[in-house]
Amino acid sequence: MAHTMTAKVEHGSDKAAGDVLLRVSSDKIGRLMDLVGELSLSVSETINAPELAHLDLVGFEAAAHRLSMIVSEVQDAASELRLVPVAEVFRRLKRMVRELQRETGKDIRLEILGEDTAIDKLVADRLYDPLLHVVRNAADHGLEPPEEREAAGKSRTGTLTLSATQTGSEVRIQIIDDGRGLNRRKILAKARQNGLFGPTEEPDDNTLWKAIFEPGFSTADTVTTLSGRGVGMDVLNTTMDALRGRIAVTSEEGRGTTVSLHIPVSLAFLDSVILRSGTHLFCVPIDDIVEITKPGTTDKLHISAGKGAEMLWLRDRFIPVCRLEQFFVGMRKEMPALTDMVSLIFETSNGPIAVPVDEVMDRQQVVMKPLEGALTRLRASWGFALLASGEVAMVLDCQRLVIGDPA
Amino acid sequence: MTQLSNTDHPQAMPGLQAELSEPIDTMYLTFPVGTELYGVSITVVTEIVGLQRIMSVPDVPHYIKGVINLRGKVIPLMDVRLRFGIPEKEYDDRTVVIVLQVNDAPVGLIVDGVNEVLDIPDDHIDRAHSFSNSEGRSLVKGLGRMDERVAILLDVSRLVEDEEIDIVDIPAARA
Repeated sequence: MAHTMTAKVEHGSDKAAGDVLLRVSSDKIGRLMDLVGELSLSVSETINAPELAHLDLVGFEAAAHRLSMIVSEVQDAASELRLVPVAEVFRRLKRMVRELQRETGKDIRLEILGEDTAIDKLVADRLYDPLLHVVRNAADHGLEPPEEREAAGKSRTGTLTLSATQTGSEVRIQIIDDGRGLNRRKILAKARQNGLFGPTEEPDDNTLWKAIFEPGFSTADTVTTLSGRGVGMDVLNTTMDALRGRIAVTSEEGRGTTVSLHIPVSLAFLDSVILRSGTHLFCVPIDDIVEITKPGTTDKLHISAGKGAEMLWLRDRFIPVCRLEQFFVGMRKEMPALTDMVSLIFETSNGPIAVPVDEVMDRQQVVMKPLEGALTRLRASWGFALLASGEVAMVLDCQRLVIGDPA
Repeated sequence: MTQLSNTDHPQAMPGLQAELSEPIDTMYLTFPVGTELYGVSITVVTEIVGLQRIMSVPDVPHYIKGVINLRGKVIPLMDVRLRFGIPEKEYDDRTVVIVLQVNDAPVGLIVDGVNEVLDIPDDHIDRAHSFSNSEGRSLVKGLGRMDERVAILLDVSRLVEDEEIDIVDIPAARA
């Protein structure tokens, strides 16, 4: 199912009759999305019916191909319905920045880039709170007071940039300030104090910066009404988890800090790889996979002294193995040898992990369904994926796979 | 997939067809489990479908056999025999799934078959005091008497609560 999401959003500025905007309830759009999902599954079921397998149906094949193309376009068109420009979220932040100027007494110039970038309305609605915290932090801690800036040879006015761009099926939102940058010494000391790193550990910058998103983390010496209570960034973490997003921070002393949020354009469809382990089907977002490998006998290590933990030797490093059969309850008891399985390497915030499965089946654009009722107890899962075959696969959250996630 | 919702196939729920004008609060869809007759309030029944391919799911109680994709909805299926603690029976042509909407979430009950819809007024129901365990929780809401028959009426929200499974026993993940 080819599926490319275009980022075009109709604008009210054009006066042409075709651009008249309609107000439609999100329930109606949700229903349409559900139906389109069902339609695409039914079409795929029909076309791939086993009864047709060995028949020579030239006319049918051509018609079936055309039908699939149309369904795929309908799917694209339906998902576009729920896309809105990020402009509205940015506008609310703009008001906030004006307020921050008054409260902090700093001169802030706000620059907005790519406000036409389209994003799922459901994502947009949840984006304001976490963005607000990042902006507050930038204004409060990042940007210096005018005198300090002048002394450092910078312009008196600090610049805060909000930018949104689309790359593939992801939207990248950046909050860039040209302030003093993150203080490595201060953050490392605080991170050690909070037990995030050992007293002699020297994490690299990218790893260290992520510590500021841990709950209860604040290096601000005084708690102001603006920030410094160490709760804001945690909101960011929680929301990004729920939106299947990623956070990256770069910072340069004296030059400023950039916080980048990578978020999938749509929550309804997911570009993923389908895996089989025993009788269970799993599905993982394609962006989570670093590598797929079939280890040889010399590449694996069994550690009896470590409760039978297994490691994989790959590219000059040991990668811990996480067996789905051990993590989840109710899967098969016997586990094939690592050498008889295919291992997927996932990058998590705790480093890479290897997850062995029996088979990597397919790459697919799947329809996502959230967990409900009796299924909410499933651990390390985003929800269910409806596959083109009509089957259902559980979508794995690799991050929670590694931290254990007690139910 | 046989799909017996009351609009498509009214004959599937004979009681319902005859008494559509009556309030449905006192109506129960009855189904046999072994030699016993059970009933669920039809206010929570959304449809009855034939059994289709079940996809197994980890991390759920043993009586949840997996999930099905019912026209784009992911529905967990509960084998009521396992839920009641009686031996499993191999599924056959008569095996059907009663789809319920309980606490805003769908759940399907795998049952040996379905019987008719019975109108059982409240004064024909013996409230079950004696079925509760020590904590006062029971799957049984009461016993409905209609003529010579007795239907065991289920408390569906209790049915989907899974108090027996002790999640603490789940072995810690070893990364």
